[in-house]
Amino acid sequence: MAEIAVQRLTKRYGETLAVDDLSFTVDAGRVTGFLGPNGSGKSTTLRALLGLIRPTSGTALVMGRPFHELEKPVEAVGAALDAHDVHPGRSGRGHLRTIAAAAGIPNSRVDEVLDMVELTPARDRRVKGYSMGMRQRLALGAALLGDPKILMLDEPANGLDPQGMRWLRDILVALAAEGRAVLISSHVLSEVEQTVDSVVVIGAGRLVMQGSLADLVKGDRRPILVRSPQADELRALLVQAGASVGPDGRPDAMIVHRSSLETVGTLAAEHGIAIFELTHERATLEDRFLELTGESGNVR
Amino acid sequence: MNALKSEWLKLVSVRTTWALLVAMILIEGLTAGLVTGLSDVDDLRTRDVATLANGTKLAIVFMFTLGALLSTNEFRHGTANSTFVVTPKRERVIAAKLVVGLVVGIAGALLYIAVNAGLGLSILSSRGVDVDADTAVDTYLGVGIGLVLGCLFGVALGALLRNQILTVVTGMVLFLLAGTAALFIGNDVGQYFPGESLLALNGTPGADDVLLSQTEGGLVLGAYCVVLGALGMVLTRQREIS
Ligand SMILES: Nc1ncnc2c1ncn2[C@@H]1O[C@H](COP(=O)(O)OP(=O)(O)OP(=O)(O)O)[C@@H](O)[C@H]1O
Ligand SMILES: [Mg+2]
Repeated sequence: MAEIAVQRLTKRYGETLAVDDLSFTVDAGRVTGFLGPNGSGKSTTLRALLGLIRPTSGTALVMGRPFHELEKPVEAVGAALDAHDVHPGRSGRGHLRTIAAAAGIPNSRVDEVLDMVELTPARDRRVKGYSMGMRQRLALGAALLGDPKILMLDEPANGLDPQGMRWLRDILVALAAEGRAVLISSHVLSEVEQTVDSVVVIGAGRLVMQGSLADLVKGDRRPILVRSPQADELRALLVQAGASVGPDGRPDAMIVHRSSLETVGTLAAEHGIAIFELTHERATLEDRFLELTGESGNVR
Repeated sequence: MNALKSEWLKLVSVRTTWALLVAMILIEGLTAGLVTGLSDVDDLRTRDVATLANGTKLAIVFMFTLGALLSTNEFRHGTANSTFVVTPKRERVIAAKLVVGLVVGIAGALLYIAVNAGLGLSILSSRGVDVDADTAVDTYLGVGIGLVLGCLFGVALGALLRNQILTVVTGMVLFLLAGTAALFIGNDVGQYFPGESLLALNGTPGADDVLLSQTEGGLVLGAYCVVLGALGMVLTRQREIS
């Protein structure tokens, strides 16, 4: 059974379809990236999973049940929706204590968690004076209080510096390795690219793809740059194979569309053609992400 | 029980709570001292002991606000998210807030009475003005219960309206303005307004003909709290948190 199962989830706000017939699952033991541009419905989906909003139709299940039917919600799910959701006049420790008290968790666990998120030196200061990174740490700390089996974090990397990002990655990967299901949302793939094992990509409230990072690359349709001393021969073969080939400016190079790195490489090998360079013209996975979600539009 | 402890921590862990209580006591002490100390002695003799309960209308503002913050802070600062994720049985949260409101309301009322009676009554007796003990007890009981109910009213109205500014402004209008206007135009309905019920409960002198009796005032105000509180619980269960 998947830890998180979203089935045909739809949420309508007046004219806006925030989430549109969305289905996906999240398994334990891995970090899943929940990706989509601004306004694509990520936060809405998480809120539905947490029982904060009611689906217009469909279901959002956690450990096979609607959130409000969980026996011990804090032990099942730890969530961080928005790092700003703190009373600024409370100390970091005071904030966590209010949550711990509600969940029947002892204060000793609060200090333990503060240590984990490296906020101990600042724990008695009022949150008003916390930086964005510190607030993110505090929000993560709150999510960890109940030592939950599932973590749902909405844009946890927002506002983190490179060191903070690495720290977050290490902690999330470790938590997943302990057998937890970790779901983190982001609107930039590069932010979580090195953290996630699998991805759920949505656009305009609809599922664009679910799979591993490798799957995300597989359907790749980005233009390919090829350089070879037998350029003319290779060009003819590629055109024959259905690709479209354009000039690069250099006589020994070309830009290939409607093909894949694998196809070009194999074709060259089969005909004994030497390859000097074979790569996607635009090098980042981010472009692939933009390509996937691009058509679905942003602000609705 | 967990929800209760959490709500209590939320109350005592912000400075605003203490600031409101201290401000209420300071203003109350000042009014009680000034009225009893500076008024003409003959004038004081002819007036009722309820004159003492002078800062009540101001004190109720503080206690009401304290209660309102208890509920609306969750939405003002976004803590409603974690609160209702940790306690999905949302009516428990509101119930806990009402209990905490009751406790802090009683504490505030006791402080108020201690300052008002301690300062005011001793100044009066030093100036040779006798105070009828029965009337004093009635007055302080009324004022005390009024402050407690005012705080509960704030919690309940806040749970209902959620928006902090809207709640505080609505409370001010209900307690300070609405019924007063209705009474002036001789409307019987006016006496049942929260503000007028509170005045009746406080035993405001010389208003017997336009206001309810002290007991009736208390019951009406209490009924408001029960109805608003119940409504707040039901709506909090049903509404979306977003
Ligand atoms: N409470 C609400 N009332 C009305 N519309 C809403 C509400 N919540 C979300 N929406 C709309 O639903 C759509 C999805 O919003 P959502 O916050 O889920 O997007 P998101 O993917 O989290 O975006 P971001 O990356 O900017 O956080 C948006 O068009 C938004 O305007
Ligand atoms: Mg969002």
